[in-house]
Amino acid sequence: MAPRSLWNGTIAFGAVAVPVKLYSAVESKTVHFHEVHLKDGARIEHRPFCSKEGKEVDKDDVVRGFEVRSGTYVVLEKEEIDAAGGTRSRIIDVEAFVPLDQIDPIFYAKSYFLGARDEGADAFRLLHDALAETGRAAIGRFTFHKREYVVAIRAYDKVLALHTMRFADELVGRKDLDAPRAGAKPKPKERSLAEKLVESLSEDFRPGRLHDEYREAVLGAIRKKARSGKDIELPEEDEREEDGSDDLSAVLEASLA
Amino acid sequence: MPRSLWSGSLSFGLVNVPVALFSAARDTDVHFHQLHEPDGARIEVRRFCSKEDEEVAFEDIGHAYELDGGKTVVLTDAELAAVAPERTRTIEISSFVETASIDPILYDHPYWLLPTGESAGTKRAYRLLVEAMGSTDRVALGRFVLRTKEYLVAVRVRDGLLSLTTMVFPDEIRATKGIDTGARKPAKESLSQAVKLIEALGADFDPGKYKDEYTKRLKKVIKDKEKGGTIDVPEPDDEPAPAPDLLEALRASMAEIRKQR
Repeated sequence: MAPRSLWNGTIAFGAVAVPVKLYSAVESKTVHFHEVHLKDGARIEHRPFCSKEGKEVDKDDVVRGFEVRSGTYVVLEKEEIDAAGGTRSRIIDVEAFVPLDQIDPIFYAKSYFLGARDEGADAFRLLHDALAETGRAAIGRFTFHKREYVVAIRAYDKVLALHTMRFADELVGRKDLDAPRAGAKPKPKERSLAEKLVESLSEDFRPGRLHDEYREAVLGAIRKKARSGKDIELPEEDEREEDGSDDLSAVLEASLA
Repeated sequence: MPRSLWSGSLSFGLVNVPVALFSAARDTDVHFHQLHEPDGARIEVRRFCSKEDEEVAFEDIGHAYELDGGKTVVLTDAELAAVAPERTRTIEISSFVETASIDPILYDHPYWLLPTGESAGTKRAYRLLVEAMGSTDRVALGRFVLRTKEYLVAVRVRDGLLSLTTMVFPDEIRATKGIDTGARKPAKESLSQAVKLIEALGADFDPGKYKDEYTKRLKKVIKDKEKGGTIDVPEPDDEPAPAPDLLEALRASMAEIRKQR
C-alpha cells in the first residue's frame, strides 16, 4: 500500500520545476498511555478554566494571545498567524546546493521523505541522481502547515530526504555554557588505555540490532500486570554509586580485563 | 547559562563520570498563550474525572494502556519508573561506531554533557574521555531513559566537550517502499547537464546566512495587530509547471546563470 502524502508542491531552481509529494519519515513507537483517575479508572478530561474567575470557560471563548509586555497580550486569529506563512506555500525555492559533508547533523531537526508526482517524474529522478552524483544537498525554504522552514534535501535510497534545519542562532554553543575548567591532562598511560578501550568496544553500526528495550520492558510490564492482576513490585531506594576511585589507570585496566 | 535537564553518570567500561545534560538547541519560536476572550485572563487547564465530574490531583492520575483485546491496564508513575530504574541514572556507552556509518535521519535532539561537581577526579576522567574519543572518527553509542522514554544516544566530541544527540530507533524510520521514485534512469546528457547546473548553483554551507524569516514576519504581524492594523492573508503563488522538455530547461537555466556572471 502506498503511504499517504502530507503535502504536494514543487522544488524550483533555475528553469527546472520538480513536482514532489511529502511523506513522514519517522513513526514514533513510544508506548502511549491515556490519563485515567486511579480511583475509578475513568478517563481524565482537560478543561479550560479562566485564571481570574476560577470558572470553567466555553472552548469558543478561548483565543490565542502573544504577551508583548508582562500582562499585556495581543490577540491573533488563526488566519492572522497563518499570514506569516507567506505566499510560497507550494514551492520550495532552492537557494544553493551545498556539499553534504559540510552540514553538521546537529542542524537537522525533523525529517521527511519526498517522492515523485505523476507529472514531472523524469525531473524527480534526474534531481535525485544528480544530488547523489554531486554529494550535495539542496538548501531551500519550505512552508508546511503555514510555517516556513529552511530545509536540506538530499538523496536517500531512491527517494529524497527533506530535513528541516535549526537556525545557527538556535544552537547553544560552548561559549553559552558555564563549562568547568578542564581537568588535569591525562597521563600517557591513561590515554593509551582509554584508546585501547575505545578500540575494543568498536564495531560496525548495525541499526537492525538496536531495539527499544525500554519500550519492550514497558509492554512486558503491562502484559504481566494484565495477566496477574498484581501491581508491579517497586525496587528499594538504593544509594547512588559514588565514583570513589581516583586511580583511573587501575579502573581502565580492569575494564579491559 | 541554561538549566540542566538531567544529571547522572556516563559510564565507559568501569569508568563512571558524573555528568549533567543541557540542551544544545534553544527554542526561539514565538509562543502564544490561551486567553479567555471576555476578560483577557490566562486560561489554565484543570484535570477532571470524566465519571465523577470532579477535579483530580496529579498524584491520583494513572497511565492506562489498552491491550489488543480491549482490556485496559493502569500503571502508576512509580510502576512506570520501576521498569528500568538503572537506565534513568546512567548513560552506558555500549559501543563505538564510525561517525559516517550513522545516517543523520536517525538524529533527534542535540545536548551537551558537562562534568558535575568539583572533584578533580571527575574532571580528569571527563577530559580523558574527550581526548580518547576526539582522537578517533568514532561516536559512542549508549542508551538512557529521560522522562519515561528510552533514548538511543550518540556521544561525540564537539568544541572540546562531549555532545550527546538522542536518536530515534531504526525501526521507527518508515520504509520508503511504495513511494514513487520517478521515471527511468535519466539520459547521460541530461544527468551531466543537471550536475553542471547543481555545481553552478553550488556554495559552501554557511549556517549563519540563513535567517528565520518566518518568525520575523510573525513578529511583524503581532506588531501590526497591536497598532490596530488589519492583517491581510496573502494568496499563495502558483506552482511552476514542470518543463515539457527537461534538457531544454537545464540548458536555459545554465545560460541564464552565465548571463548573470
